[in-house]
Amino acid sequence: MENNEKLSPFHTTILVFMIQSGVMALILPQLLAETFGTNGWITVFGFGIIATVNILLIAAVYKLGKGRSIFQILEQSIPRFMLIPIYLALAVVWTLLGCMAGKEYILIFQMYAFPTTNPMEFKLIMDLLVFWLLTKGLYNITKTSTIFFWLFIWMVLLAFFFYSDFNWARLTPFLFKGGKFTYLESLDIYSSFLGYEIVLLLFAYTNQKTKLIKATLIGNSVTTLTYCYLAFITFGVYSLGQLKNKAFPVLEMMAYIRFPFMERMENLLFGFILFTVLFSILMYEWCALEMLKHIFPKLKANFLAFMLMLMCFIVAYIPDTINDVGDWLSTLSMIECGIAFGLPLLLLIVLMFQSMGSRLAHE
Amino acid sequence: MNKIMRILLVVTILIMLPGCDYRILERIGFTYAASYDAAPENQVEIGISIPRADPTIDLVRELHSAVGKSSKDARVKFANETDLLLVNGQIRVLLYSEALARKDLSNEINSILRDTSISPLVKISLVNGNAKDMLFKDYKQHLSTDKYINRLLEKASTNNRIPKTTLYEFERDYYDDGIDPIAPILKEQAEDITVDGIGLFRGYKYIGKIYNKDVLLFSILRGKFKKGDMGLDLDSVRDNDGSHEYIMFTSVVSNRAVHVKHNANGPIHVTIAANFKGSIHEYIGDLKLSKDADRHQVEKKVSEILSERGNRLVKQLQQYNVDSLGIGMHVRNSMSYEAWKALNWSEEYPRIKVDCQIHFKAKDYGKIR
Repeated sequence: MENNEKLSPFHTTILVFMIQSGVMALILPQLLAETFGTNGWITVFGFGIIATVNILLIAAVYKLGKGRSIFQILEQSIPRFMLIPIYLALAVVWTLLGCMAGKEYILIFQMYAFPTTNPMEFKLIMDLLVFWLLTKGLYNITKTSTIFFWLFIWMVLLAFFFYSDFNWARLTPFLFKGGKFTYLESLDIYSSFLGYEIVLLLFAYTNQKTKLIKATLIGNSVTTLTYCYLAFITFGVYSLGQLKNKAFPVLEMMAYIRFPFMERMENLLFGFILFTVLFSILMYEWCALEMLKHIFPKLKANFLAFMLMLMCFIVAYIPDTINDVGDWLSTLSMIECGIAFGLPLLLLIVLMFQSMGSRLAHE
Repeated sequence: MNKIMRILLVVTILIMLPGCDYRILERIGFTYAASYDAAPENQVEIGISIPRADPTIDLVRELHSAVGKSSKDARVKFANETDLLLVNGQIRVLLYSEALARKDLSNEINSILRDTSISPLVKISLVNGNAKDMLFKDYKQHLSTDKYINRLLEKASTNNRIPKTTLYEFERDYYDDGIDPIAPILKEQAEDITVDGIGLFRGYKYIGKIYNKDVLLFSILRGKFKKGDMGLDLDSVRDNDGSHEYIMFTSVVSNRAVHVKHNANGPIHVTIAANFKGSIHEYIGDLKLSKDADRHQVEKKVSEILSERGNRLVKQLQQYNVDSLGIGMHVRNSMSYEAWKALNWSEEYPRIKVDCQIHFKAKDYGKIR
């Protein structure tokens, strides 16, 4: 039924933005300061370009595959029994990724706002919300994401609060000095851009009018610009040493906002971040669900969704400190980076063989 | 499916509700202000003031104090003395005695920075004398002391009597390698509290102070300055012929630029050029302000006096070896990263040559000509 409804370009752009921006954005400026040092915000553009290259890779798959879903492409050339383990592995990674992103957000939120509450209570509510959205299908998810986008994006305007404390002299004229570059940390930074690779699974829900690739590229640019603006402000408001020392600079900045009639309103603002975090989680779970649907075609989708979220909830019990969750998230993001580049490459190879095969058949 | 959803919803609500972490406002003690004093054996004495809003008792605020190894250690002690649940979310003012600050504030500040419930907007201030005594005393003609101090600091910083020094600014300047942090100093004066000056820090250590009369000038030199009042005796430059010349101006808008010149084998030469405009509110003297020539003469005189005082102020800062004006930031930005790292700024700073050029311009001079 949902296959009849195709995504619109606008919804797709927003969906991509909502998936990309997530819990890593809260830590991003600190990572940039730590890894690149002075004026590290500029590197956001670099990461944005890498993401763009990756999207172009996906575009090639979309074009060569003529809009067929990746399942159709794969199953045409590779026997099913070989694909099942791949599907399963992807499903596991995506489930865990969504699960850990959720737990990370909850642990941070709970540390600031509800220090005595059990984080798993929040997790339960969040997972329920994700479950309900999962059962509604992709088209409704994108519509919801548009609403949630507006509930979230106004927060960019809050940056005006920091203009008075912004100081150009604090940015320093030095380019990338005083940082400690490690590949691991830059992968962490890159993981805040992840999410665009999900469009691989959207092929079946699009048609010509969707302009999938263009929409994705725009979504990625919006993310890049937002991150860049955020990092730029943070670098001008905080001194470099201070920024390196902050666990959650973006949350701290929010605590700096105050109105004449209200102080300490950051807990209210933290809640709004949920909207974008929720979509990162939701879409990873959705991808995992798509995989599960292909592994168990006989089972009902809603039942699969329920089992998926149940697993997601149970697994979230295992890592219980903020550092553990961070480590899990780093490892998973690293794998996800591999998937983001590897999966389109695999598909391209398969497509190449297919076109070669068809050419041979024609000859 | 809808039925399952509804059942799920009901079950969730049933699971969630008993877990509710309910809090009754009257039973929570929102610490409003805290004081820190040095105690023997490297301990600190902490005092806190909690506003009470219970109509059944005739009490405006609750006060507790304890001596401990750290602020959190002392907190555990006074948590036992009160029936309230102590929380830090609404702390507005932190008062440190000069004696404690002279030792080092790094433990105290770091403990505050770690606490997620404390706002970065909390005001940091030094106290000339005993911080606890100041906080615990009731000042007859004022609000309850904690609120009084908070509003006093807020007013003083919005009027630019003192630069804004919240935890955010304090920490930011601490971590920046081109500027040193500052904090206002409060003093008890009979039945009032007044601003005594500005405390100069090196790291988290209190080094010296700028007295009240130079505070405005300090703010102008530090930059980002919108308004304030200043009175000046103009007699000091010309020989005293018996007539008294005095000027008072307000609503000052200033901009500051720092120019750095590197000399091949001399010390670094820094020029702080500050232009500011003000309205003259009071002028006692022989010149007529409506006459351009006369007014320019007054402007020139004010500029000269302020530049000279500015130079003296910078000398004083150099003697203390604290770069509270942030000159280092501009020196840093004028050279390459490697050269800056090779330069030992705290060694170089007392040696550099600083020239303050302050230009005053009278925007208007009130209702009379």
